[in-house]
Amino acid sequence: MPRDTFSGYHPLVNFLFFALVLLLTMCLLHPVSLGISLLCALAYCFRLTRKRTVLWLLPTAALAALLNPLFNHRGATILTYLPSGNPLTLESILYGLAAGGMLAAVLAWFACCTVVLSADKFLFLFGRVAPALSLLLSMTLGFVPKFQRRLRTVLEAQQALGQDLRQGGPVRRLRRGLSLLSILLTWSLEDAVQTADSMKSRGYGLPGRSAYTPYRLERRDRRVLLWFSLCAAVLLLAWAGGVLSWHYFPQVDGALSPWTALAQGACLALCATPLVLDHLARRAYARSLQALSGKEGS
Amino acid sequence: MNLCQKTRALCALLLCALLLSACGQDAAPADTASNLTCTLSISCTAVLDQLPPEKAGLLPEDGWILPATTVSFTEGETAFDLLQRFCREQEIHLEFDQAPGMDSAYIQGIGNLYEFDCGDRSGWTYYLNGESPNYGCSEAVLQDGDTVAWEYLIF
Repeated sequence: MPRDTFSGYHPLVNFLFFALVLLLTMCLLHPVSLGISLLCALAYCFRLTRKRTVLWLLPTAALAALLNPLFNHRGATILTYLPSGNPLTLESILYGLAAGGMLAAVLAWFACCTVVLSADKFLFLFGRVAPALSLLLSMTLGFVPKFQRRLRTVLEAQQALGQDLRQGGPVRRLRRGLSLLSILLTWSLEDAVQTADSMKSRGYGLPGRSAYTPYRLERRDRRVLLWFSLCAAVLLLAWAGGVLSWHYFPQVDGALSPWTALAQGACLALCATPLVLDHLARRAYARSLQALSGKEGS
Repeated sequence: MNLCQKTRALCALLLCALLLSACGQDAAPADTASNLTCTLSISCTAVLDQLPPEKAGLLPEDGWILPATTVSFTEGETAFDLLQRFCREQEIHLEFDQAPGMDSAYIQGIGNLYEFDCGDRSGWTYYLNGESPNYGCSEAVLQDGDTVAWEYLIF
């Protein structure tokens, strides 16, 4: 898949962006903010992975909306009565939608985060601060994808050897599956031992060990950091001033003033930053290509 | 249809069935041919100055969600049955739960005013003929001429 511009920025910029955006999604209940966050998260996720599987998050959100009224009966608008005797209210459905939307947005942002903040970037950020914790985190987070890749390799190799897992009777398939599992585990264990030996021989974790830093804070990183602090400041002021408040019970109501519009604009600006940066970079690249081909043609 | 489409259709069907079954049935209307009557009232006058702002707009200004009203009931109905039936008929919001340790329903909120809304010790209680009984409202079988008063108090 084409590499996205935002991933090329300094890891600190990436980390700050995701931290801000996750904080925003989890703390604000305003439907406009949640909608903005969800849309931007889905769009960015699609841009990064080019797969439509991210849309499956929406039915999950809808399911949360349907389950919430089963145990939350607050709200002024009674639609009907449940078999338990308690009322089914419109507000509980809307709150369920908001909570489901929030869940979907958070999951989508985390999906983007796994693509952008790779293991080495994570290690770079936290390696000096908490080496043991960052190592543990990067190993844990990378474990499942690594295991999946190895599984695929072993499956293909076994197929080539005539030991296809999808063919044969149940007993034969079970035996092949068990041998597959044994191969996988042996590989992972051996690899882990080799990694540990290699790290020990290179003095990982020893005090005073310097690290090669492939990332440096460039001018564009500084500019984006400034932009993030501006948006964060606007949102913080708005939140402190009560301009972003929203409640669902007993009636759906909250702040809808012009200041709210400004704050939501800041929210949109923040959440759409990676997409905008990517678009601007691609446009600049296309223009420079045109200029070059124009020069060669003439 | 391939497997994916079949799964989606099944999920849609299950969801419809769930929603339909969740639609409750209206409670049976009271038998007004019987002559048993009692007085029912619901009030939150004790906490009028401490209501949370978003709820104060929904509750009546004098604090009487239901002023003392003569209501008819059938033989064997309890205070809880009466409250539930009346709130359904008058479309007053009511939420209840099973009381822990008691054989009775526990009223969590009437008119969207919930327990603990005015502090740790606030909640709904009922008075039968002016006295606070020691048993839950599902055990208070009504007699002709009884007075049931529901009040929101800070204990």
